[in-house]
Amino acid sequence: MTLSATRRLALKGALACAFASAFASSALAADAVLRVSAIPDEAPTELQRKFAPLGKYLEAQTGMKVVFTPVSDYAAVVESLATKKIDLAWLGGFTFVQAKIRTNGTAIPIVQRAEDAVFTSRFITADPTIKALSDLKGKTFAFGAPSSTSGSLMPRFFLQQAGLNPEKDFKNVAFSGAHDATVAFVAAGKAEAGVLNASVWDKLVEQKKVDTDKVHVFATTPPYFDYNWTVRGDLDPALVKKLTDAFLKLDPANPEHKEILGLQRAAKFIPTKKENYEGIEKAAHSAGLLK
Amino acid sequence: MLLNPAPPRDPAARGRLSGALLALVILWPLFRAAEFKPGALFDSSNLKVIGHFLAGFLPPERGAEFLAYLGKATLETLAIATAGLALACVIAVPLGYLATAAGREQPTLNPLTRSLLTVLRGIPELVWALLFVRIFGLGPAAGVLALGLTYGGMLAKVYAEILESVDPAPAHALRRSGAGRLLAILYGLLPQASKELASYTVYRWECAIRASVVMGFVGAGGLGQLMDQAMKMLNGGEAASILLTFMLLVFAADGVSGWLRRALDTPPAARASPFGWRSISFLLVLPSAVIASFHWLEIDFGELFTAGAAHSIGEFVAGFFPPDLSSDWLARVGLGIWETLAISVVGTLLAAVAGLLLALPKWRAPFSFLLNTLRSVPELVWATITALAVGLGPFAGALALALHTTGVLGRLYAEALDNAPAAPGHALRLAGAPAGLSFLYGTLPGAAPQLIAYTLYRWEMNIRMAAILGFVGAGGLGQLLYFELSLFHHAQASTVIIAMLILSIAVDQTSAWLRQRLR
Repeated sequence: MTLSATRRLALKGALACAFASAFASSALAADAVLRVSAIPDEAPTELQRKFAPLGKYLEAQTGMKVVFTPVSDYAAVVESLATKKIDLAWLGGFTFVQAKIRTNGTAIPIVQRAEDAVFTSRFITADPTIKALSDLKGKTFAFGAPSSTSGSLMPRFFLQQAGLNPEKDFKNVAFSGAHDATVAFVAAGKAEAGVLNASVWDKLVEQKKVDTDKVHVFATTPPYFDYNWTVRGDLDPALVKKLTDAFLKLDPANPEHKEILGLQRAAKFIPTKKENYEGIEKAAHSAGLLK
Repeated sequence: MLLNPAPPRDPAARGRLSGALLALVILWPLFRAAEFKPGALFDSSNLKVIGHFLAGFLPPERGAEFLAYLGKATLETLAIATAGLALACVIAVPLGYLATAAGREQPTLNPLTRSLLTVLRGIPELVWALLFVRIFGLGPAAGVLALGLTYGGMLAKVYAEILESVDPAPAHALRRSGAGRLLAILYGLLPQASKELASYTVYRWECAIRASVVMGFVGAGGLGQLMDQAMKMLNGGEAASILLTFMLLVFAADGVSGWLRRALDTPPAARASPFGWRSISFLLVLPSAVIASFHWLEIDFGELFTAGAAHSIGEFVAGFFPPDLSSDWLARVGLGIWETLAISVVGTLLAAVAGLLLALPKWRAPFSFLLNTLRSVPELVWATITALAVGLGPFAGALALALHTTGVLGRLYAEALDNAPAAPGHALRLAGAPAGLSFLYGTLPGAAPQLIAYTLYRWEMNIRMAAILGFVGAGGLGQLLYFELSLFHHAQASTVIIAMLILSIAVDQTSAWLRQRLR
């Protein structure tokens, strides 16, 4: 038995080596696939649901197979765009700035929703004694993901302008990871107050997924530029043009398009450019999130 | 009984009391840093919140769509664990060979390999996973590599120690008669050590399943990723289904690994061939499991070795140097270290007390069940629940560690107490001592070295866990690391990783020293 166990061990090692090398040699390079991802600002299952009709539409428009990969980490999307593992990504304003820096300025934002040009964040709480930002001192507070624009960066920037430093003035700072999770944190009392993207808040209120008698908005930020669809810089310009046109062609009068726009919570898509996000870059520097 | 001596006095009382006081003085600041406030557990609003959340566990989610996700994630978890361990073996066998003193004529410390192993082991697998998710993009490849590296480091160290611990005479004899070192190890040492080596490898596979669940929390796929989502959304029904699946998986892995280890203990049948049905089926199942795992995960390791990948890895790694050593940042990291240390110490101590209490009752069945349940829920999952119970912060982390560790230590304590010599306790009982005293002065001293060793070993593991509990809001180094990595502040993240490494090495050393002192 001991002998066979020895043999087993040796065999195990040898086999493992053999398979590792066998798998190493299988390379794949399927073209005509458009690889898409999105920052996980909502639950990945929700993102997949939202993307499905848009993916079909893009397949029809470009003639390519569209593959959507859900992720649970903001930075992984940025990194994947930089290492060319994805072609097209739905980014927030700040993640776009990060992607721009990581790709040495080559990432191109193509379109944004009309709403993204005047985006806001909402501060929410279930505590009736919190009525203004200054009441947040000494409370526990939930941001979204650390690299979220509307759930972390811009609120932090506006808190700073109101004279509040989250690390010093709040009792505890948590990162819920996603906007809907922030609402769950605040509704459950895990954090006394939190901040999230206005669009997700409005959706949750519309869908009655939040009890507005309990959780209420007590402050809203001034508007800023947020989300866009970004392509990696070395994508075929003809394809970039096709994608841009496909988004811009979406027309709310067309019922099929209306469904897509509805799921994306967009009135329509409008062209965007890098310069739109310079404000966010400045805010990120002054809030200490960019160095 | 005999002549009743003057007022009964405890001869050891003074020493024990002063020891306890000293420990309290040392531990007090740590308890403060962990924001130890048991009162928060009974706060009515907190109780309502957690009651509400736990009530949501019933009924567990059973929708077809969700079950399909769950099935896929379960397979993915199994595959990550199996593939990860296969990779770990590939790493561990040569490194173990290099590191071990076995079969060497002159003793050598081999500092290079040893320190490589320390680095591999000292950085928690979750941190490796977090880095690999960035380098290799989305999906389970990151989890497999992370497991492979950490477990490779652990396996190599243990392989080396096992080979050193067996009788060196056969290997010596072989070396003297001119055999090379490899042959001496293969034929002189492996036959004695093989059972222990195989047994430890199987045990690690079981651990890998637990760990691969945890890695899902940073986006490396599998059950953990589902769990992370369900917990973030505080979706009790989904969380309950995932937890049940996870527990079943852990119990099944426990069963399989127990069966395998028993099989290794079975004396060989009196047959010419050493290969029985177990060995044959094992030889068939193992490679197919490894192949199936790699296949299912669609990992393309070829991509790892392309020039482009090497370039992007190089660039990524270069971003971590030099680490940020500005005094501002060092002060924040120092605070993180202190908080992490506090979480690990408080968590382990609470667990030691609770574990001992749960290990005492004679009627084991309900307590074993409780301990197994506590143990099979990973710390990160406990942390999301304790954060609801006592609010975000280090105390939630300490409690989460305590809950999981109670399960582990309780079981080990119960075994150690069972194995402790029964005679002294018996003698005291016969001499008329009450049950409590005969336990304290008869049974406990016999079992104490073992109990303390288990507790210290667990502390070494908990310091690594405490370092990453911050990912779910429990403070400490983990939260710093998560935040800085999200913002691509690699120089700062690098300082935090180095701090984690130093902390875990320091704790290993302290624990080894304490074990030696207390022996």
